[in-house]
Amino acid sequence: MNGRRYPAMAGILAIAIIAFIANLSFGASAMSPRSVVTALFAFDPDNYDHFVVFYQRLPRALIAVFLGAVMACGGAVLQGLTRNPLASPGILGVSSGAMLFVVIAAFLLDVPSQGQGLAAILGGFFGFLSCLLVTRLIVSSKEPHGLAFILSGAVLSMLHGAIANTIMLSSPSRRSDFLSWATGNINHVYVDRLRDFWWLGALGLVMLLAMARPLTLITLGRDKAASAGVDVTRITWLSIGAVVVSVSVAVAICGPIGFVGLVTPHIVRPLVGASFRLALPANAVLGAAICLLADLAARSAFAPHVLNTGIMMDLLGGIVFALIVKRYYLSASERGAWR
Amino acid sequence: MSALTCDRLTVAYAPGARPVVNDVSLGFATGRFTALVGPNGCGKSTLIKAIMGFLPHVTGDIALGGAALSGIPRRELARRIAYLPQENHCPDYISLAELVELGGYARYSLFGGPDERDRSLFADALATVALEGLAARPVNALSGGQRQRAWIAMILAQDTDIILLDEPVNHLDVHFQYSILDLLRALTRRGKTIVAVLHDLNLTAAFADDVVMMRDGRIFAQGPTADTISAESVRDVFDFDADVFARGGRLVCLPAHAPQAPA
Repeated sequence: MNGRRYPAMAGILAIAIIAFIANLSFGASAMSPRSVVTALFAFDPDNYDHFVVFYQRLPRALIAVFLGAVMACGGAVLQGLTRNPLASPGILGVSSGAMLFVVIAAFLLDVPSQGQGLAAILGGFFGFLSCLLVTRLIVSSKEPHGLAFILSGAVLSMLHGAIANTIMLSSPSRRSDFLSWATGNINHVYVDRLRDFWWLGALGLVMLLAMARPLTLITLGRDKAASAGVDVTRITWLSIGAVVVSVSVAVAICGPIGFVGLVTPHIVRPLVGASFRLALPANAVLGAAICLLADLAARSAFAPHVLNTGIMMDLLGGIVFALIVKRYYLSASERGAWR
Repeated sequence: MSALTCDRLTVAYAPGARPVVNDVSLGFATGRFTALVGPNGCGKSTLIKAIMGFLPHVTGDIALGGAALSGIPRRELARRIAYLPQENHCPDYISLAELVELGGYARYSLFGGPDERDRSLFADALATVALEGLAARPVNALSGGQRQRAWIAMILAQDTDIILLDEPVNHLDVHFQYSILDLLRALTRRGKTIVAVLHDLNLTAAFADDVVMMRDGRIFAQGPTADTISAESVRDVFDFDADVFARGGRLVCLPAHAPQAPA
């Protein structure tokens, strides 16, 4: 198995590079991969194609890369920490919390665009902590385990989403500005937030990578990890903090897009394994590739109409969610480790 | 000499609840194999977990090499004591090599990994448990006996002087029960201190240097195995009449009354 991991990693990287070039090549006007590469590495400001690639398509592709990397790593870490295959930033309340706080900041407090990004980060923490709180009210166990956690997250996500929608509906004049973002869309509207906050997401990913070994140990069980030298409480909260911050930044940029975070870890595990030292980089790269391809599909599948990336992802995500439930919960007797 | 000692240790699962371990004082002798025995629910596993610092409501003192164990950070503690829980679960898609490498975590720097010495230690650990050809296999694709030996290899990779094991030979057939206990005995000859919760009195008698007999959260008897396991102590701790006799210099423990022959 180990022998196949590095080729698998190389394969994922190749897919991501092809997806990146393809994402930049196709659009209202298609252009050859060669001119895309020249635009990137030998930019000619007088060439119109180069201009389109560099100032219109590249920001969008970078947003897709950021979103995919952050969401997939967040999903992998949350699935490991909760030992639950259904965990993801979208389901544990992080995305909806961030969305709710952005809407509150924009509609009720008239916070300018930059401040809305900070509101998203606060909201991400609010969403996750409220999910944790509701779980503790339902079950008395101290560990965020199992279905109760997932169900609390799902219910709270709906609640936060509903409140956010209510606030938006109450202000028809500004609603249309936010509608596309609120359904989740890879769009260059908020590229300034990527420019302002990308480093926070990158910092989160570097932190997670630095914690790859202790995080893997925690997936063996908290006592086992502690006996091997892991400060379980500190690693748990540091990694959740890193996930919440980086995911909230992604939500501030593209709205709540959940599917990547849920599904990418499930594709990565059979390919490069469950040890986070390899799995985290693989998740980042594959998550980016999936978002680039989804964005491409959303733009070209129903051309000339452009579909929201979030809607595209939700369609796929619903199906995958059902498949995961079937695999892990309807045949639970065979899979003791996930209980 | 005892590297690891407990003094008046009392453990409860909630404040004010009936203690599961009650006023226990003992020391585990360096370089010896100590077995913890006693009926189900007597507090053997709880005692081990309390020593590992996993339980919140503990009073009394635990000391490692004379220093209070509670003051030792997790990483440093992991370089001195290894622990094998009773039940171990490995997620899917983790290979045996990765599991063993994680055992050395406490020695790695933040972004660093295993060095040459660590790698030869891992190879030794896998060879010791006779799994050296299977390093690339996923842990969950191994058989039950192989899996238990994989967890023991991870413990060996941790390379500590003290090893605590909670029922290490449960679920194993008699061949692996003997080979794993043999291995643990061999480790004591390298100066390691082994403490294991065991169920089987005959295995205890055959492999342990010292035995601690517990009942209702208290220590009933402790000392060298041959002096401690007797018909009287077994009756008092386990509530059954046993016939304990020496054969070839080793103790054997059997029910005193032969079971009724099947009709």
